[in-house]
Amino acid sequence: MINVLIGFFIATLITSLFTNRLFRLYFWYGINSLILGLIGIVIGKIYSLNELVIMGIITIIIKFIIIPTVLKKITLTFNISRDITPIMKIQYLTILVPIILVFTYYLITPVLITFSTHPNFVAIAISSLFLSLLLIMEHKRMIAKIIGFLFMENALFLLGIVSTNGMPMLIELGIFFDLMMFILIINLLFKYQGE
Amino acid sequence: MINYMLTIFIIFLIAPFLQGLTKSIKMYLLFKKPLSPFQPYINYMKLIRKEVIYAKESSIISRIAVFMVLGPIIMVVFLMPPVFHGSFYISFIDAFTITGLLSLSTFFLMLLGLDSASAFGGIGSSREAFISALVEPAMILTIFSISLIGKSIGVSGAVLNLNTYFDINHAASFILAAISFFIILIAENGRVPVDNPETHLELTMVHEAMILEASGTNLMLIETASALKFAVFATLFVSLFFPFGINHCWCLAVLVFIAKLVLVSIAVAFIEVNTAKLRLFKVPNLLGIAIIFGFLSLFIYYVVGE
Repeated sequence: MINVLIGFFIATLITSLFTNRLFRLYFWYGINSLILGLIGIVIGKIYSLNELVIMGIITIIIKFIIIPTVLKKITLTFNISRDITPIMKIQYLTILVPIILVFTYYLITPVLITFSTHPNFVAIAISSLFLSLLLIMEHKRMIAKIIGFLFMENALFLLGIVSTNGMPMLIELGIFFDLMMFILIINLLFKYQGE
Repeated sequence: MINYMLTIFIIFLIAPFLQGLTKSIKMYLLFKKPLSPFQPYINYMKLIRKEVIYAKESSIISRIAVFMVLGPIIMVVFLMPPVFHGSFYISFIDAFTITGLLSLSTFFLMLLGLDSASAFGGIGSSREAFISALVEPAMILTIFSISLIGKSIGVSGAVLNLNTYFDINHAASFILAAISFFIILIAENGRVPVDNPETHLELTMVHEAMILEASGTNLMLIETASALKFAVFATLFVSLFFPFGINHCWCLAVLVFIAKLVLVSIAVAFIEVNTAKLRLFKVPNLLGIAIIFGFLSLFIYYVVGE
């Protein structure tokens, strides 16, 4: 079950690399977060860690429902242009994405034996970290870069889950409040700068 | 052996029906009065009675290319995986055989477009070359990844293995390969996001532009080839990615197979109605996703499926 979900986690991230419409990007971010929450719930059920299940549910509520809705509302309120064509050509991306995937796996192979929990999932988490970095690099517009940051946060959350079977709940909750503040600051930024 | 011939016969018979069915469902969804799904057969009967006219500038290529378009596709139909258990099949077919034969057919179709020396033929041939060059790597990657999941390099062996035992650990890899193959099915058969099969507007023509000069029996043979190509892709798709129903008795297995083919045509019709046609230079985005998903399917097979 986790295998399937992790496969779809990275697939949604790669699909979002190829989009050039803003609302499509929000949609893929929502699906990515939904899968992340489901991964948390499934791992929590398997190892009977209740805090991980709660974290999964909070992830789904905040990142799948609230954040895309708020971002959509901001976009419509401040009349932000919804065309986010990447400055990097698609042909280069087609080469770069496999290189990143293979390179990350090669990079992480010596370290993998030290992880006792899910060694191969760590490779996927780190490659999704690199891919979200690519998402930040390929866009010129700020709003798309922000979605890149949010994707990177998702990848870090996944890395936290699969490498340590869940961090303490207090830290996770702190991250969520951090994220909410982040969204508020973006709101202010758009209000006064306008793009 | 009689089972094998029966399978081939079914694919030959059902191929024009699938194309007609897609068209009539599409017309129904657009609130038009739908044509009969058996319309392609009537068209063939009409075309076969008309006389064949060649363009003044055309060479010997125009005369032989028609048969060379149809020939490799008929050969591919004979290499399809078995439809029911215990049927005879040809076991040495891998990704390269199928892709190579289909490319041979596409090559002669492009020559046919160029040969009549009309401007539209050149446009159509260059566009077809552009699309089919991008389709090939995705198709090879996808069929290789499904062969790995099925634990046999031959397509038919992979289908039989998948039917007897499906490893749930490789489900993500399997579904990604299915998405990739469906994009290839749409792109290679000239369906809506890539090419519109119904218009004769010069900006959008790909397949139609190459066959503008064909007439009579020649046009019928090319239309048959395009219908058979869709049937080949649909058969590969349903055998590889809906691996169930083979182990029943033969009559039930054939019925399940035909139902799956009809389902694929309905899915294609729904996609055609709901999407707009892509600009030609946006097509690499779609096919890039197909290539990446094929690669990702291989990658996830090694990394995640233990």
